[in-house]
Amino acid sequence: MMDISLHLLDLMQNSARAQATRVVLSISEDREKDALTVAVIDNGNGMDEEEKRLALDPFYTTKKGKKVGLGLPLVVQAARMSGGDVKIESHPVSGTKVEVTFSLSHMDRQPLGDIPATLISFMAGNPEIELCFQYAGDQGAFSMTSSQLFSHEEKETLGQIALLSLAEKRLRAGLARAGFRPDGGGVIG
Amino acid sequence: MKSIKDLERVKEQALAEIRVRSSSGSPRVTVGMGTCGIAAGARETMLAIIDELKKRQKLDVTITETGCVGLCAKEPIVEVHIPGEPRVVYGNVDVARARQIVASHLVNRKVVDDWVINIRKEDE
Repeated sequence: MMDISLHLLDLMQNSARAQATRVVLSISEDREKDALTVAVIDNGNGMDEEEKRLALDPFYTTKKGKKVGLGLPLVVQAARMSGGDVKIESHPVSGTKVEVTFSLSHMDRQPLGDIPATLISFMAGNPEIELCFQYAGDQGAFSMTSSQLFSHEEKETLGQIALLSLAEKRLRAGLARAGFRPDGGGVIG
Repeated sequence: MKSIKDLERVKEQALAEIRVRSSSGSPRVTVGMGTCGIAAGARETMLAIIDELKKRQKLDVTITETGCVGLCAKEPIVEVHIPGEPRVVYGNVDVARARQIVASHLVNRKVVDDWVINIRKEDE
């Protein structure tokens, strides 16, 4: 994975496969604390203690016919190589929260990447899931919920392609207003 | 408890409904979005497909996604299904290929043979 936004898309896909009906993606940048915290929270089928322990093993997967499950191990690697870590909270009934921390200024931290692209592609593939997004940075904050992103009239009259294009425009504008920028990562950013 | 005959009749009815459903409605594009697909650039492929469809005002297409299908070396994988025609699976679909597939297959109904990795009949 080239950047953090791709890891996040992969984690959100895990939520979709866990039959979540609601997925929350939160990103928080704190330059004073030199911390970048991202989290994916869902209400899907969570994990018991044993599954949680095995989730970070690249040779463990719940998918039938597959021998590897690389999503979470790759996130762990990306976090740890930049002075961060991954925390998983999960319960079989209530869902899962995966929180990943990075040291903002660490030279090995991957760039945050194209967050709107991650959100739009997830919305395209999972229209039935309510997606909530929260961003908080030093310059401002932005939040949106997929079900409230469009007016009733827009939902009635526009097709999927037109709605996704409109969503992308609104997300990019909202994030720009909040001072969000897809940084270069590490010391470059 | 139903007999085997009853169950076979139920199965036939269900298959007939699936056939009707899949041969009507809008064209469908499915992008592989497993970990392997995402790492290979499937997100950009999907966005390029959406962008090209919008540019060409081909707005009746449904975009959807699937997980890893076991051909990780061929990711990003894209399946194009036009109702009434076989499903065409393309491999190594980068942004440029994605735009070409939209123009050639979805708009002009011409399969891009060079990038096809599988063709499946509608009910397979």
